[in-house]
This record gives sequence, C-alpha cells and structure tokens, in this order.
Amino acid sequence: MLVPLYGFVAGDTLGVLVLVHDHETIAELAARAQQAATVRVAPRARAYVVVRGARVEPWLSVSAAGLTALDRVDIIGEEA
Amino acid sequence: MLPREAWFDLSRKLDWSYSYASEREVFPELISGTPWLEHAEWQDWNEPYRTTYGEYVTNQAAKEVAVHAVRAAVGRIEDFQQHDRRWLSALKLHAATLPLAEFAAVIGNLRAARFGRDSAWRTTATLGALDELRHTQIPLLVMHELVRWDPQFDWTHRFYHSENWVAIAARHLMDEMLLLADPIEFALATNFVFETGFTNLQFIGLSTIAHDLGDRMFETMVKSIQTDEARHAQIGPAVLKTIVAHDRAYAQRLVDKWFWRNWQLFSVVTGFSMDYLTPLDQRKVSFKEFMYEWVLDQFARSLAEFGLAKPWYWTQFLASIESYHHAVYASAYSYRATVWFDLALPSAAERAWLRDKYPDTWDAIDPIWERLAQRWSEGGPQLEWYAHGTTPVGFCNLCQLVLCGGSPGPNTAQVIDHDGARYIFCSEPCRRIFEQEPARYASHRDVVKRILAGEAPANMLELLRHFGLTQDMWGKDVDRAVR
Repeated sequence: MLVPLYGFVAGDTLGVLVLVHDHETIAELAARAQQAATVRVAPRARAYVVVRGARVEPWLSVSAAGLTALDRVDIIGEEA
Repeated sequence: MLPREAWFDLSRKLDWSYSYASEREVFPELISGTPWLEHAEWQDWNEPYRTTYGEYVTNQAAKEVAVHAVRAAVGRIEDFQQHDRRWLSALKLHAATLPLAEFAAVIGNLRAARFGRDSAWRTTATLGALDELRHTQIPLLVMHELVRWDPQFDWTHRFYHSENWVAIAARHLMDEMLLLADPIEFALATNFVFETGFTNLQFIGLSTIAHDLGDRMFETMVKSIQTDEARHAQIGPAVLKTIVAHDRAYAQRLVDKWFWRNWQLFSVVTGFSMDYLTPLDQRKVSFKEFMYEWVLDQFARSLAEFGLAKPWYWTQFLASIESYHHAVYASAYSYRATVWFDLALPSAAERAWLRDKYPDTWDAIDPIWERLAQRWSEGGPQLEWYAHGTTPVGFCNLCQLVLCGGSPGPNTAQVIDHDGARYIFCSEPCRRIFEQEPARYASHRDVVKRILAGEAPANMLELLRHFGLTQDMWGKDVDRAVR
C-alpha cells in the first residue's frame, strides 16, 4: 500500500510529498525524500530518519516503523 | 445654502429608535457581530475623516482624473516594456493578488454599511465599499492593456478564479476575512490589522520604490489607492475601541489571529518584491528593515494605545521576519512554473546584499542558491527543468502556503489528528488558529489532499494545467529562460 508522507530534508526550505510503499525500508524512504529535494539540496550518501523526535532504524519497513499516511518525517544527512 | 455644520450630522450620523422591530432584530448578533451591545454603547462612534458623500464624490473625481492622465501619458505597453523584468514580475505578483481581493472587500464593507452598529460607521463603510470598487477597477484597467503584450498580465483577473496554489492560499485568507466575517471581525481584521497595520504602509513603501524605478503609472495607482485606504482604515480603531471596552479578550484573540494570517501572505507578496524583484541598485531598504520601521513600531504603538498586548507568538513572528519569505522564495523559485510571474536567481552581488541585511539567517539559505546555480551550470541555459522541482510539495492546512516555517533550521511544522483526520501546519500559530475554530477550517482540502482525493493530478506538468498555467504563462527564470 502506498503511504504519502511529508518529508523534510535537512538544509531544504520546504516539505515535500513523499510516496512510499509500506513494505519499503526507512533507508529507501530517506533516499526518495532526498531525491525529491535534489534541486535544492545535494543528496547525502548517508542519512537517517527522525519520526516524532526519535531516530528510526534504516532497515525497518515503513509500516514496522509505525508510519501512517501524512506523517511527518525528517531526513538528516550524516557527515562523510 | 446651509453651512456644512448645520446639515453634516443629518447626512452622516442619523440613528433612530425602532417602533415595530427590536434592535436585536434589526441587527442580529449572527450578522452584526459579537459582542452584541445596545446602540447606546456605540453612539459615540467616530473617525477623523468625517467625509460627506458630496465631498467624497468631489475628491474621488479629482483622483480619477489624475490616474487617467498618468495612464494616458505613461501607461502604454511601450512604457512598461522599458522596465526591468524583475520589476515587471513584482507588478504581476501585485496585480494578481490585489484587484479581486479588493472586490471581495466591497462585500465586507457593504455588510458593515448595513449591519454596522452606528450610522457614522455605516456611512464610512459605504464610502469604503465605493473605494474598494475603485481599487478593483483601476488595476484591472491598467493591466488589461498589457495582456496583448505579455499573457502573464492576464492573471490580474484570472488569479482568484484559478486553482493555483497561491490563489488557494489567498482565497482561504480573503474569503474568511472579507466575505465571511461579520462587521466587527471585518473591522478588526481588515481595517485595523490589514489596512492600518500592513497595506497602508506597504503602499507607501511600494510607491516609493516605483518612483525610484521611474514607474510613474504604478506609483500613481498605488498612491491613489493608499489615500482611500488611509481614510476607510479608520473604521478599525473606532470599532476596536468599543470592543476592547467590553470584551478585551475577544479583541486580543481577533488581533492575534488576523495579524498572523495577514503577515504570511504579506511577507510573500511584499518580501519577494522588496528583497528579490526590485533591481539591486534601486533597493534602499530590505524587507526586514521596512518591517521594523513601518510595521512593527507603528503596530506595537497602536496596540499599546488600546491597552492590548503584542500577539502571544511575537518571538516567533520576529524570527519569521528573518527567514520566512526567503524560504518561500527559494521554494517558489525551484517550482517557478507553478506561478504566473518570473523569478530571479539572486546574483553573487544580490546574495552578498542579502547576507549583509540578514546576517543571522542568510547562511542557512545561501547553500540552496549555490545548489540551484550549480544545477543551472550543469544543465545549461536550455534546460530550465534541470533546476526545477518535479515532486508535489506539502502545504499548511491553515494558511495553505507551502510548508516553509523554519526549514532549514528548526523545523516548525506541526502535525495533529482531529476527528479522525490528520493535519499539518507550517507553524504553531497556524495550528492554534485552526484548533480555536476547527469546524471553520477542517473540511478545506489543501493541494496535497486534493491530489490524494483524485481531485488534482500528481504529475507536475498536469498539475500546472490544473493550476491554470500554460507554457506562455508559467513562471520562468528572469535571466535564463528561453523565450
């Protein structure tokens, strides 16, 4: 099932709509959000996702992470 | 003929006692507004202009002659073609957001002309309605001439009728403030907050910029409108005085709500124009300096005069002056095809000017421009889309503007669940305004919810058509676009 989320990539000026499948991983979600913001922010090779103030493991699926439609996720790039 | 003083009050301030209907029936609270007070509480209502209808007609006729004389002299296509393309974009932005909002204000004034609680208020509102009709007609007339040359000017009339995202945000604000509000809320929201707090001063600033740029037509039009605004805006303080005396908490709540709501749209329209669309060599002050000099000092003084406090979010408001319009502009630039005016990528000199004017926040914004310039460099001048977003973005469920409240930096977006539905807001003030009156706002669908409901397309090119834009109209980079 497709899950629409509001993604905020660190360093960007706005939130973007990110569509992910509930079986996709948090790492894939981070990559998709970064791709959506790539015009304004260069994607980082390593980035982590924060949901409701807590960092989420990258290998978790979107549904296992408890994300539901129109949740807010923050994508934070890690320094190389 | 009788001297003015002998007939003046009969023409402007004539109230009477009702014999076959009660005052509450003549002025129902639902339409006249809250708090409902006996007329005795309103009978001292007054404003400083005290204009009669005859004086109004004489003055307005002279103003019309002046505007039309300037239009005849410098209002032709050839005159506008001489202006900088950035400034023309600022004109298109103002031309679209102004006239039909003024037309909605005709209705708000006419409601006050019938249901305002004192006859002098009703008289002044009648003249206000005539003012706003004039403010609709002048820009429509001036810009209509330009449509033959540049179809983007067609948005002067097209804008409010479209499903464009900026139009949705503007309608969400204007419909509530100008069409829905009762005369008391209208007086506080429109006359006191919007006109006294923002537009009256904005028009002074804009006409000064237009003068410096040699745009005599826009300067004359805005100055002419401003003189009307200065008069009918006086309805606001006169109503606020009575409301504060009887229900200070309600007055404070309305002022808090409408200052925030007006600020956001104002910062987009005027912030874009002053900090990005005015040619650099003609910029005298930044938007932030203008806000502090013309809006903050005056508005804070006005509040103090009425014994009201600054809005509870004042610290957040001051922070947003530093960054909000920059974030929205960078976002709009990267989605410029979704609007009807062209945007400029700030040059190195402009970025240095912005850093100087916004030393605390510019370093967070500048990397965005570095990245966009890099995309242009990689893609080349023929590839406008390589430096353009393709994914739908998020919108605030209160103000309907893009989610730009504080990102980069601390992200101020807030999510709540209400009645089984999820809502996102760009900021705490937007969330709290929603939570004070959820029934008023909850069913409105922003662009994202329209996409998810199948009412709007998710594909960017199809979304542009949904926004009412075709290739000859949609926004491009002022300097790099292939025309």
